[in-house]
Amino acid sequence: MESEKIKFTFLSADGTRQQVVGAAGETVMEVAYANGIEGITAECGGSMSCGTCHVYLDETTFAQAEAPSENEVDMLDIVSSERRPTSRLSCQIKLSAALSGAEVTIPETQF
Amino acid sequence: MATQLDPAAIPVGCPMHAAGERFQPFEHDGMFEQLAEYRKDVPIFYAPQIDYWVVSRREDVISVLRDHERFSASVATQAVVPWPPELLQFLADNGFTNESVQVACDPPRHSRVRSHVQGFLNPKKLQSFEAEVRQLVQSYVEAMKGKDTVDLVDALTYELPAMTAFLLLGVKDIDPRRIKAWTELRVKLMHGFPTREEQMSAGDDLLDFWRFSCDLVEQRKQNPGDDYPSWLLASRGGDDEKLTENELKSLVFALLLAAHETTSNASANIILELLRRPDDWAALVADPSLIPNAVEEGFRFCSSVVSWRRVAKEDFELGGVSLPAGTKLLLSLASASRDESVHENGDVFDIRRKNARSHLAFGNGIHFCMGAPIARMQVRMMLEELTKAFPDMSLVNDDPVEIVGVLTFRGPSRLPVRLYA
Ligand code: HEM
Ligand code: FES
Repeated sequence: MESEKIKFTFLSADGTRQQVVGAAGETVMEVAYANGIEGITAECGGSMSCGTCHVYLDETTFAQAEAPSENEVDMLDIVSSERRPTSRLSCQIKLSAALSGAEVTIPETQF
Repeated sequence: MATQLDPAAIPVGCPMHAAGERFQPFEHDGMFEQLAEYRKDVPIFYAPQIDYWVVSRREDVISVLRDHERFSASVATQAVVPWPPELLQFLADNGFTNESVQVACDPPRHSRVRSHVQGFLNPKKLQSFEAEVRQLVQSYVEAMKGKDTVDLVDALTYELPAMTAFLLLGVKDIDPRRIKAWTELRVKLMHGFPTREEQMSAGDDLLDFWRFSCDLVEQRKQNPGDDYPSWLLASRGGDDEKLTENELKSLVFALLLAAHETTSNASANIILELLRRPDDWAALVADPSLIPNAVEEGFRFCSSVVSWRRVAKEDFELGGVSLPAGTKLLLSLASASRDESVHENGDVFDIRRKNARSHLAFGNGIHFCMGAPIARMQVRMMLEELTKAFPDMSLVNDDPVEIVGVLTFRGPSRLPVRLYA
């Protein structure tokens, strides 16, 4: 099956914007790693042990995307940068139509 | 590079050959100086003594750890010196059914097992042990008070992490030194360079250690509590498709090593480096808010797990050389954490370093250490309580500290200090 391509943008803490393309089903963290996006450390490679893949979604995308699991909400309690209403762990956000055109903001630090 | 490299074909006189000849995998003296040279000139080289390729640059180490599709963890805890068939037979005959369940497994098995473990070994749950760990640290520090000199390994770093592991496992009333002795034996058999006699005489103890883990699980079946084995039993829910009972026992057996051996060595390494720099110690005494970053710098500079292993599932290129499937890699976490590309003056210990935490002490990728939060917590609390109780603590200078190690672990066997000015 040809997987659908999803385009979205990373916004770094220093204001840099980078548009990226990923395949449906990939995680936002994986796309960041594949594109060498800085600031998403993701030490645990997506196994929800580190909390160093924290991002902020724009409000529209946050509302459209699948809600975070209970485990993710627990992990968000321990992230280092300020937790906001649209905080997510990028390793838990799978690309789907909801992510198309999203703006994913990277916090100043993951530690 | 197109052609694949055959170790035997690396010419004498080539820096790569020289590195392989010089590298002493079980010798920790002068290790960091050598690694700095390798990082610069020979980022990957063949070590004939162990039949591994040593990888020293951060970028290369991370790329391997994150690429679990091409690099398998199956060798991670494999005996460096293969166990004699007689020992294997003895163990098999006596019900030693320990199997690789996590750190030496690949997906999909690894993912299945890790998802059960995650329910207990997660940052939030581990944080909930904060008050109990604090109490433990305080009781060890209290027992040292009034003495003139103590060996900090003996008085604190050796036992405390085992006691913390017991909290997680719900173990009470057992001498931590029994577990420590069993653990050291296992470490030596997996990552060390034991003689055949040492291997053969280890059978009984290994079996006792395994039976202890199995008994623990059996007890929790009768009397479940709020602990790791009970959690795993509930998570398994009697379903072998989810997690078999033998996998569960193997997980408990594994944690009885992973949860303390590493932390004992790392905490002693870190305290040693701080005491080698009295100004740093004084800075932490004066301003305890520096402690968390000092802990990270300690993990970066002198952690206990100095290297970790992988094996290639397909042909690959790394550090400018092409190598075939089946190549075994010794990834130097110690070297990667000092790589100048990310850590300026990486060989300098700086408790105020801004990016100290970007180290690889706990690995990277899907096998990332699940105990990192409680390891950090313990080292932080040891420093908090020690600086508070003994602001003038100093190394006993005339008593040199010996760093003992196996292929993958490193820590001082003793750490004599003077507690008061
Ligand atoms: C300073 C102390 C510690 C250090 C330096 C350390 C280091 C490591 C490293 C390097 C790995 C392998 C990572 C990889 O393969 O990529 C690992 C895995 C692991 N560690 Fe730790 N560790 C420490 C303490 C602990 C503690 C206290 C626990 C438990 C409470 C623990 C539990 C584990 C487990 C369960 C794994 C296996 C994860 C997996 O394979 O999925 N560790 N650790
Ligand atoms: S990568 Fe570790 S929690 Fe997302």
